[in-house]
Amino acid sequence: MYGYIIRRLWQMIPTLLGVILLVFLLFNWVGGDPAYVLAGKISSAEQIENIRRQLGVDQPYYVQLWIFVKQVLTADFGASWSTNEPVSHIMTTRLGPSLTVLIPYLILSTLVAMGLALAVAYVRGSLTDRAVMIVCTVGLSISILVYIIVFQYVFAYKLGWFPVQGWSDSFGQNLVVYGSLPIIILLVVSIAPDLRLFRTFVLDEINHDYVRTARAKGVSENRIMWVHVLRNASIPIITHVMAQVPGLLIGAFLVERFFSIPGIGREVILAVERSDFPVIKAITVYVAVATMVFTLLADLMYKAVDPRVQLK
Amino acid sequence: MPFDKPQHVISPSLWALAWKRLVASRVAMVSLGIVAAFLMLIALSASGLIAKDWARETGVNYAPPSFLGEDIEQAGQPAAPGGPISASDKPTELPIQDPLADAIADIRGEKKAPGSEAPSGESQTVDPLADVMADIRAKGTQATVAETRASTLPFGADKWGRDVLKKTIKGSETSIFVGLAAAFVATLLGTVFGAVAGYYGRWLDDFFNWFYSVFTAIPYLLLILAVAAVLQQKGTLTIILILGLTGWTGTFRLIRGEYLKHKGREYVQAADAIGASNGRRMFVHIFPNVSHVVLVQLSIYTVAFIKAEVILSFLGFGVPVDVVSWGSMLNEAQNELILGKWWQLAAAGTAMALLVTAFSLFTDELRDALDPKLK
Amino acid sequence: MEPLLSVRNLRVNFRLDEHTTFEAVKGISFDIPKNATVALVGESGSGKSVTSLSMLGLLPKENASVLPGSEIIYGGRNLAALDQTELRELRGADISMIFQEPMTSLNPVFTVGFQLTESLRLHLGLGPGAARKRAIELLAEVGIPDPEFKINAYPSQMSGGQQQRVMIAIAIACEPKLLIADEPTTALDVTIQKQILDLVAELQKKHQMSVLFITHDLAVVGDIADYLVVMRNGEIREQGPARTVFETPRDPYTKALLQCRPRLDRRPVRLPVIEDFMNGGGHTMNLAERKRGLAGSDPIILDVKNLGKNFYSREGLFGRRKFEAVKNVSFKLPKGKTLGLVGESGSGKTTVGLTLMRLHEASSGEALFEGKDILAMSPREFMDYKRRIQIIFQNPYASLNPRMIIGQILTEPMQIHGIGASAQERTELAFELLQKVGLPEVSFYKYPHEFSGGQRQRIAIARCLTLKPDILICDESVSALDVSVQAQVLNLLQDLQDEYHLSYIFISHDLAVVKYMSDEIMVMNQGAIVEIANSDDIYRHPRESYTRKLLSAIPKGWHHGA
Repeated sequence: MYGYIIRRLWQMIPTLLGVILLVFLLFNWVGGDPAYVLAGKISSAEQIENIRRQLGVDQPYYVQLWIFVKQVLTADFGASWSTNEPVSHIMTTRLGPSLTVLIPYLILSTLVAMGLALAVAYVRGSLTDRAVMIVCTVGLSISILVYIIVFQYVFAYKLGWFPVQGWSDSFGQNLVVYGSLPIIILLVVSIAPDLRLFRTFVLDEINHDYVRTARAKGVSENRIMWVHVLRNASIPIITHVMAQVPGLLIGAFLVERFFSIPGIGREVILAVERSDFPVIKAITVYVAVATMVFTLLADLMYKAVDPRVQLK
Repeated sequence: MPFDKPQHVISPSLWALAWKRLVASRVAMVSLGIVAAFLMLIALSASGLIAKDWARETGVNYAPPSFLGEDIEQAGQPAAPGGPISASDKPTELPIQDPLADAIADIRGEKKAPGSEAPSGESQTVDPLADVMADIRAKGTQATVAETRASTLPFGADKWGRDVLKKTIKGSETSIFVGLAAAFVATLLGTVFGAVAGYYGRWLDDFFNWFYSVFTAIPYLLLILAVAAVLQQKGTLTIILILGLTGWTGTFRLIRGEYLKHKGREYVQAADAIGASNGRRMFVHIFPNVSHVVLVQLSIYTVAFIKAEVILSFLGFGVPVDVVSWGSMLNEAQNELILGKWWQLAAAGTAMALLVTAFSLFTDELRDALDPKLK
Repeated sequence: MEPLLSVRNLRVNFRLDEHTTFEAVKGISFDIPKNATVALVGESGSGKSVTSLSMLGLLPKENASVLPGSEIIYGGRNLAALDQTELRELRGADISMIFQEPMTSLNPVFTVGFQLTESLRLHLGLGPGAARKRAIELLAEVGIPDPEFKINAYPSQMSGGQQQRVMIAIAIACEPKLLIADEPTTALDVTIQKQILDLVAELQKKHQMSVLFITHDLAVVGDIADYLVVMRNGEIREQGPARTVFETPRDPYTKALLQCRPRLDRRPVRLPVIEDFMNGGGHTMNLAERKRGLAGSDPIILDVKNLGKNFYSREGLFGRRKFEAVKNVSFKLPKGKTLGLVGESGSGKTTVGLTLMRLHEASSGEALFEGKDILAMSPREFMDYKRRIQIIFQNPYASLNPRMIIGQILTEPMQIHGIGASAQERTELAFELLQKVGLPEVSFYKYPHEFSGGQRQRIAIARCLTLKPDILICDESVSALDVSVQAQVLNLLQDLQDEYHLSYIFISHDLAVVKYMSDEIMVMNQGAIVEIANSDDIYRHPRESYTRKLLSAIPKGWHHGA
């Protein structure tokens, strides 16, 4: 077990190096000289010269790469090009609001989609099943933008049930007042794809021989569904949800932007708009690290719930 | 391969049988019909036969759809999906404004898509795009200057009086073309990488797996946005490349798995035993047996990339300002909705939902029809 | 005496698609007496499993339906007409069932104990403690060693034989009156099969229950069946007491089933095939004994010395675990003769075949083909020898490329090796070979999916013959086929050997088939050779205890039991 974890951590090193190389190539090589990027955005020539010196633009690429590797290892990406706020400060302060929305959403969506998936799989092949699947396909086909625009307009702007946008310093107020409409929208948007996916997980299990065995034992259909099938289907579901977490930090950028939630996703959009490279670089590298760690956690979780898996 | 007997005695192949199953499914045929209609529409619009003059300002500003009748700006307006708008909802009182709008406009005024001010906090009313709009208007109206503006249009008009219906057709052209082209690039890359890695294994597999793990470590959207941030010039080709070059990972994983599986299958071992070369085994023997996966991937990607293009263009990182797509339409529609002008939102949203629904349903049916388990 | 269960006019329909239905069971009637074992025998597609599933209402409800008028009378009630709630009370309590694949039939994420106590608590209402105690007793009863410990094990931590024992423990937990066993030993090795058969027979007597034993192999039930029901294509061909059916079968199909399977005590020149019996009595069977065995002076075509094959799996930080699939295997293959290769799963017999073809790379040893080591050759050099060693695989459904017509499958090898001067000539050769393996010319234009398993195996044989090989490796080539089809393919292989003087390496887990086909037999266990000898000698005078164990486990059919 420990051997496995150490080997997996060891294997992350080449991946991390690859990510660093990719980001470096993108921003230092394709992106080119920050002087051109920043022309017209920062008026002070002195400031631009400062940035160029920091990045070692006039030095060979390997020196620039080494500067970047040092930045990653020391978690010091300098300051934002546009606001001068330290990047490390941006990262730490934006994480909280993102998680305030994402954690409740993740728990709710998993539970709701799982329950619905079992219910739909229970009546598989019926008219209800087919109708739900069609509704899911249609729901999936509507752009997330339409959901956000319409929901914000109807529930916040017209009906006034929620604030149109905003954020406060109080966690409770954020969660209940400002966070609830974004969470609802995320739920509505994600329920269709999750339900479809979880349903196939459940249906895969229903066709297994052990279900027939349970039936031959005289176990009721309800118990088969909620005990035998659920336990097996939860394995791919848990792995799926775990692997999803880091991507969500970014994935929620649209609601964060529409509702002015000062989270990581909104920060990415702002940074892209302002060509604020240090912020994008930092977020990309650290989200990649988070993804790798969560993939490992998902595999360990897999081991915990599935006795067949032997980690070597 | 030449045969001394006429070809017509050859039995239906698995492809023919799959097609037969597909034809037998009503859902598949209806959705295929809708997709085909869209493709025909964009072919006509691309060749300039229809919607060529989408940028012409043929109606009055915010001309309502004909079926609503003209005078809806006054009281007693009929109920519409967007909800009735009371007279007090003046645009100037809107609470939603972008605090960065002017800053951004300052920074890169000429790059901004029309009406891309996204709501995100505080209150202040500015239209940073006045000059851009003027520019566009000048372009659009070059040919036709003093023409009477229509008071209603089949599906209404936008802020500048351009026909929403024509705009939607033109927008479909952009969005579908981007989706298809990017899907083609991504599927091609994923298939080639996956086939090589899965078939040859060893260090090639290690290399491509490393490549794959690097690309999947970065969440897909973040990768797209990062590339968009770096590539300063906007254009349809740029966005196709962004989506295609970053999106190959899913196909890679699937095709690599398929090649690994088929490599060990007995028919491939038999091909090895009769002396078939690696290339022959890879392309003549295995590829036709995994091509259905490629086909399904292609259509899944098309849907995913259409959606991604819409989001990117909405944010202003997508198609350039003089090109209309569903994303840029939704961008304009966002502010129009608050004024009660729901038709552009409805037009772009419905067109996209219709196509994507049809495409997804067709993909599902295609997958079922090609499912080797049924054989 | 009143039977325990009576099936009357049972008809089951399967819906294939919206327009077509398929009648899998066509109005059958039979009885299961109390305290007796009834064997339901049939080949694939006979409807035997469908019959058993319909008794408990376990047919997939999406596409299968028991037609009205069907009766399954048990305890005065018609099971075919009961609703699911009523059936559920019977399932596992009065009637229980075990299946073919014990591995997939047990729920992988629950312990053996959980799955065993579930039945006890459900039907007998035992508390957790009492159920656990009873479960340990049951595990001991079915012969699981160390049951107090094994009750906490997951199915994946047990061997296939143990898993099937657990399935049996679950099935007998509530003292059912009827145990339905659906091919319970088909997925198991022959020695394990014997143990499970003995266990079922013992439990049947001990618990005074009835057993419905479903199998495709008549030989398996020779020892245990009191009554026989023979099915084919959804109909009952013959039924009666086991002695009567085995000794004086009336139906030609039953006769064919009894005769088609190779037997240990006889080796006819050609095996009887089903047509010999079905088309009236006018059969001309050549039942003269065939002479097999090595003379000692036969020229050697392939000389394998110290062949080894290792596989590696990753472990720990940098570690690799070595697994020796084949250890130090040496043998000689004489020209025109058959070397049989037998062993249980994991014995390495298939790996030997694949390594000789260089489909796996050998780890050590050499294989001299006419004096040259084919394992050490460069791929280019080997190309010429590749043609001369060909292989026929086990699964007829996987060994033909589904996207190619038979014509392409047959002409491709000739094209690669430059056999035949023109496409025209190759096509003619392909037609000739189709005729040789007994397929009509029109097959040339068809796709593999249009053929049955036996026909596909003939096509695979024809594909090998296109290259005019010297050695043919048959890797479990008839194991997936029904008994009646198996006899036809074996006859074809015999004919081809007689005509072309081919050398065979015949790999199989089925000792009777190997005995029938081979001159010399090599017994393998865990990658190593146990014993190698002339085939008649090895069956008459096995030297090693492992060989004796294997031989004693072979189902002997009725003649042994009588």
